Amino acid sequence: METSRDDFVIALRSAFLKKGAQQRFSLLSLIFFSIIFLILGSLNFKATNYAKIVIEEIVYRSSFVISLPENLIKDNYLVVQNYLELYKVNEKNKSELKELKSKNISKNIIEYENIRLKQLIDDYFVAGNQIFAKVLIDKKSPFLRSVIVNKGSKNNIKLGMAVLDDIYFIGKVVEVNYTTSRVLLISDVNSKIPVSLEPNSIQAIMSGNGDEEGIIEYISDANLKNKSEKLIVFTSGMAGLFKSGIPIGQINRKNFLLDKEFMIDFYTDLSQLKYVKILSFKKEFLNPSIQVEEKVSKIDIENLKNSKKENINFLKKQKKISEEIRKKLEDKNGLLNKQLTKLRKENTELNNLISKKNIIISQERLKESDVEFLELNLLYGNKCSKDNIKNILKKKYKVGTPEYRDCVANKGKY
Amino acid sequence: MGSPARKVRSFLYRYFPVILLFVVVLNEVDFNYLNLKYFSFNFSYILIFYYSIKRSQSLGYVYIFIAGLFNDVVAGTPPGLSSLMYLILCGAAAYLRNITLRPSLIKDGIFFLITILITNSLLFIALNFVFDYELELFDQIINITFTFLLYFLFSNIFNLFEKYLMRNNNVR
Repeated sequence: METSRDDFVIALRSAFLKKGAQQRFSLLSLIFFSIIFLILGSLNFKATNYAKIVIEEIVYRSSFVISLPENLIKDNYLVVQNYLELYKVNEKNKSELKELKSKNISKNIIEYENIRLKQLIDDYFVAGNQIFAKVLIDKKSPFLRSVIVNKGSKNNIKLGMAVLDDIYFIGKVVEVNYTTSRVLLISDVNSKIPVSLEPNSIQAIMSGNGDEEGIIEYISDANLKNKSEKLIVFTSGMAGLFKSGIPIGQINRKNFLLDKEFMIDFYTDLSQLKYVKILSFKKEFLNPSIQVEEKVSKIDIENLKNSKKENINFLKKQKKISEEIRKKLEDKNGLLNKQLTKLRKENTELNNLISKKNIIISQERLKESDVEFLELNLLYGNKCSKDNIKNILKKKYKVGTPEYRDCVANKGKY
Repeated sequence: MGSPARKVRSFLYRYFPVILLFVVVLNEVDFNYLNLKYFSFNFSYILIFYYSIKRSQSLGYVYIFIAGLFNDVVAGTPPGLSSLMYLILCGAAAYLRNITLRPSLIKDGIFFLITILITNSLLFIALNFVFDYELELFDQIINITFTFLLYFLFSNIFNLFEKYLMRNNNVR
């Protein structure tokens, strides 16, 4: 125990007190120094503060220089990351663009369809005459909600023309002078505008209330079944004065839900009018339809051309394939013809061989029969021969005759 | 008279640990830009401990003391605190060197773990209770764990590097 404790003390002493070969201070002295530095620093001792400032100066400058490579790596890493993000965004944008393009095509189709249908129902298409006017007088009278604009008959202003603020309907021309006109605003109690409440296409008449709001008149509550819907008010174009679909405002939700009057909040602040747009709408019988027809026919022609091109390409491809097949078949046919002639030749050769063999066989058979006859002749010839004396009483034949042969073949029997 | 390459190698062999220590301290190798929430380690601890065991003369105590002061400035801790921790680490390494007859990486690693547990505890106590700094205990544990685990990796790398310099240079 004593020895191990001694060892521990020796090792510890050696570690903390002994100066190494190239060490100027012992570890313990430096530890004490750092503790003193720490204490003096926390007590805001002047000398340590100066030392701290000097160290900070050195560290901040050298840290900037030393951090350059790491910062470079960091920056590059961030750049790469940004590029990766950009790539992802690009991919996303591409897919979105594709989707939007397809949507745009379907939108165009719907637009054309809309124009065609409008044409069918004999609706108005375009603004015929568009004049910009400045509001000269707006007295804000409680009895008459109207404004005077600086355009009159001199500028082709006519009674009943629609007046718009930007794209929103605000009133109609009710009085035309040579250089000025009076516009009756939609907030006036005398203003009766046929409107349509969307999305259900509920037809109604809108009137002003003399204030900054409009009121829906002549409408039954039964038409408004779903009150949670947001209803937007557009011109309906029923009276034939204005184009349908010009936005006016929206139904005030509070009153609407409380089953009070159907009040309309206008999109435009009618007390802040400065410049307005005066429009007349022409009924377009030919031009738009022709344009649409032209557009549609152009599209049709293009489609037709494209389909024809595709057909031609398809037929060309088919022809090419057919030619290839024909060529292959011709090659195969030639090969088969060659094989056929070869086989025919072989066949004739074999036939010749067979006939030769047959001749040989028949000859052999003849020879065999001759040999057999000769054998039988040796045995039974004397029984059939006329020359034998023993056969005087019997019926005999002359040697060499067919009867003789038969007799020999029958082994001397008759 | 050696060739320039040999001179460079000789210089590297002699001053590589000190240069690396100051680069690490001034640069603060933290990998924060990787946005890894649960990853941090103290490379300077590994470096000081390794070279104090393997080649104590390569890292002078004064250099370590100055490096600690620099680290305090960079990290914003009270000046002298990191120096104290580094020197305690050096003391522990010197003690281990004195008592070790047959060096082994595993034993070094375990002793390193004990040492960094002590030094980080001292650091945590000093900063939290004496200097009113707020430190997350969990972050400290993460830091200790990764420092301990990476000690094995870096000590192997340093071994290879030392072997390379020794073999090709004959600098000793």
